[in-house]
Amino acid sequence: MRKLVASLAFIGFVGLAVAPAAHAQKTVLTVGVATPDVGRLDPHVATSNADRGIVAGIFNGLTRFKPGQATFEGFEPDLAESWTSNDAKTEWVFKLRKGVQCHRDYGELTADDVVYSIQRAADPKRSGFSADLAPISSVEAVDRYTVKVTLKNPVPSLLGLVSNYTGGFVVCKKAAEEMGQAFARRPIGTGPFMFEEYKPQQFVKLVANKKYFRGEPKLEAVVYRYIPSDASRDLAFESGEIDMLFGKQDEPWLTRMRKLPGTVAFAIEPAELNWLNFNITVKPLDDVRVRRAMMLAIDRDGITKFRGSNANRVAVSVIPSSDYGAVDLKLPPVDIAKAKALLAEAGYPNGFTIKMIGSTNPTMATSVQMYQAGLSKIGVKLDVQPVDNPTFHVQIRKDLSPLVPYQAARFPIADAFLTQFYLSSSTVGTPTGVTNFSHCNAADKEIIAARSELDPARQKALWAEAQRKIFDAVCGAPIYESFVLWAHKDSLVLGYDLKGSMNLGPPILETTHFKK
Amino acid sequence: MQTYIIKRLLLAGITLLAVLTLIFFIVRIVPGDPARVVLGEQATMEAIEAMRARLGLDQPLWVQYARFLRGALSFDVGTSMVTGAPVLKVIGEVLPSTLELSAAAMVLGCILGIPLGIWSAVRRNRITDYVIRVASLLGLSFPAFVSAILLLLAFAISLRWFPVMSSGNSTTVADHLRQLALPAINLALIFAAYITRVSRSAMLEILREDYMRTAVAKGVPPLVVIWRHGVRNALIPVVTVTGLYLGILIGNSVLTEIVFNRPGLGKLIVGSLAQRDYTMLQGLMVVYTMIVVVVSLATDLAYGFIDPRIRYE
Repeated sequence: MRKLVASLAFIGFVGLAVAPAAHAQKTVLTVGVATPDVGRLDPHVATSNADRGIVAGIFNGLTRFKPGQATFEGFEPDLAESWTSNDAKTEWVFKLRKGVQCHRDYGELTADDVVYSIQRAADPKRSGFSADLAPISSVEAVDRYTVKVTLKNPVPSLLGLVSNYTGGFVVCKKAAEEMGQAFARRPIGTGPFMFEEYKPQQFVKLVANKKYFRGEPKLEAVVYRYIPSDASRDLAFESGEIDMLFGKQDEPWLTRMRKLPGTVAFAIEPAELNWLNFNITVKPLDDVRVRRAMMLAIDRDGITKFRGSNANRVAVSVIPSSDYGAVDLKLPPVDIAKAKALLAEAGYPNGFTIKMIGSTNPTMATSVQMYQAGLSKIGVKLDVQPVDNPTFHVQIRKDLSPLVPYQAARFPIADAFLTQFYLSSSTVGTPTGVTNFSHCNAADKEIIAARSELDPARQKALWAEAQRKIFDAVCGAPIYESFVLWAHKDSLVLGYDLKGSMNLGPPILETTHFKK
Repeated sequence: MQTYIIKRLLLAGITLLAVLTLIFFIVRIVPGDPARVVLGEQATMEAIEAMRARLGLDQPLWVQYARFLRGALSFDVGTSMVTGAPVLKVIGEVLPSTLELSAAAMVLGCILGIPLGIWSAVRRNRITDYVIRVASLLGLSFPAFVSAILLLLAFAISLRWFPVMSSGNSTTVADHLRQLALPAINLALIFAAYITRVSRSAMLEILREDYMRTAVAKGVPPLVVIWRHGVRNALIPVVTVTGLYLGILIGNSVLTEIVFNRPGLGKLIVGSLAQRDYTMLQGLMVVYTMIVVVVSLATDLAYGFIDPRIRYE
């Protein structure tokens, strides 16, 4: 009421109240994120990029990606200080750090918490990442500080599955059980920052965990501000109200921010692959010559150039090029004459019209327009039916669109992308379906064999073979890869060399601080 | 008057039920799945089905509807399907922000719009009238998000008088006013343009009335004629429009809330729609309908105070 009364009288006071705030030595980092509000801060159901960035500061995994990197090679100890496995790589034993404390006096983290977390993350009723943990047959606490994980069969990425990414985050059992559903709004972990406050549509505030096992964080607090408007986020950064921001994901933004004084703007891995899926079971796409003709008509170099080469790069395979196991397939350049010849050979000398569902998401809509332009040169008319992004995601999973434009990065190992997008059991519309929009089944044998292959060279060879087979079957047309764009004030020291981040945002660590 | 109010409240109950029924079915007809939003794009069908069961979305539509109505009648609209937070608590946290912004914009708009409209009518077909009419036309045709960005560039970036983000923990009244100023001005400019035109048109009608001519002929000073005999009579259509516009203002505030980063109902509706958060949308519609009904009733009752000749039956 006081505020309301004050607001009604504000015009008379406004002129008196315009003095800018004083600046002090900064110990609070304010980050501008691009969503209107928080989703869920339970790490096992935190699926949006914004939520994942926040939970990464609250929770730890048994292992972690090297800070500032998003590559599969080189996991570091996190909650586990060491690990061993049997020769068959089916039994893994993790030794936990002693003395790691859960936030808010929820006690010492022990093997019970780890067992609980892995079982929770593997449960489809409580986790969005249960499929990732499906290879785990059992997990048990050997003693207070030892956890044994047994696999049904070897997997190429067990250390990744238990890392500080998606299903690998460890929650404090007592807090999770005590709070139930409310845990998603008051998360308790072991990370450098603790959840402090949430104001709907405004911010989430984390404060330093002074008992953090790697040492007390240099920042006192991190405030994540929800600013969905790109323009407002930029202006808030320019006015100094936020110190770091998730950028508008295009080249002009990156160029503009790099010219802004006192600003560090960067493009980080993992770069998301943009490609066009062809449903190989419906006419006329069931003819590989038609699919190849369409692939040859799309100018991936031209599109990448149009999008900007600082924020994007040309695709080289059917999976992102930064994935462990990705190979350069030497994709053929645009060739309209050859594409027309292939179409004529397939019985479509004058081309055809094909309907597809498109998203109104600006990035995706622009890409589809460029695909349209390329395909029109060979007489193929894309009749695009645009729908809003949530509808698009539901409809393509119901197998309603013969062509599906998509943009994605996954856990940075070939198996993850190949499994979700090209393995036949992941075909959309089936009970085990994930995101195989093309109904591709060209490389099932290689994908499955590679998973349990213990020889790294042989494993890589299998993945390379899988990529070639998928490309030869033209399950999709890879076009370009887009980096994740961020910027921060040059007074901010991240405390590591930033090249990438699996949570798609710069990790805020105990070492992150502002220069004096 | 009591009978009138009781009748209006009964009618409001029927309106509310109709709106609730409509919104229940409309949000479910729109393609989209809250379970998919919660679990993300990597979730398997098995996980999605499990989440749908947990959210009660696997039940027949009529069962969901009955459960929803039962809840609504006992003022329990449930928890958000996406975040799990109690719907009314979330709405309660952002509603004051929207009401504050709307009220501030409305007061500012009236302070600016009514005198301008009356002045324009009195100075009909003179340069003042033309300037005010062109200005009000500009105000009406200027998109809210464009004026918002321009205000930010001028007053938050160049002059640094106000913050870009109009939300956060304000510790003093002055801080709070600084945060409110730009979004309120942005909304008020559009509202003032609207009110200017309505006031002008109403005043022009009044100026043609016999009693106005009589007052002038009797030698009453022009200012007294305008304020005592003209403005009060011209206010009835202005009050009607203002009452109706409050509902629109709350709805229209979404762009202002987004650009100035203010919490509010509009922003919550857009976010809930994108996430297909059925329970949140239903709760929002309940609150929104209640506001419109209450404002509409208050507007009708206000007529009696402005013009004592009006009787309620």
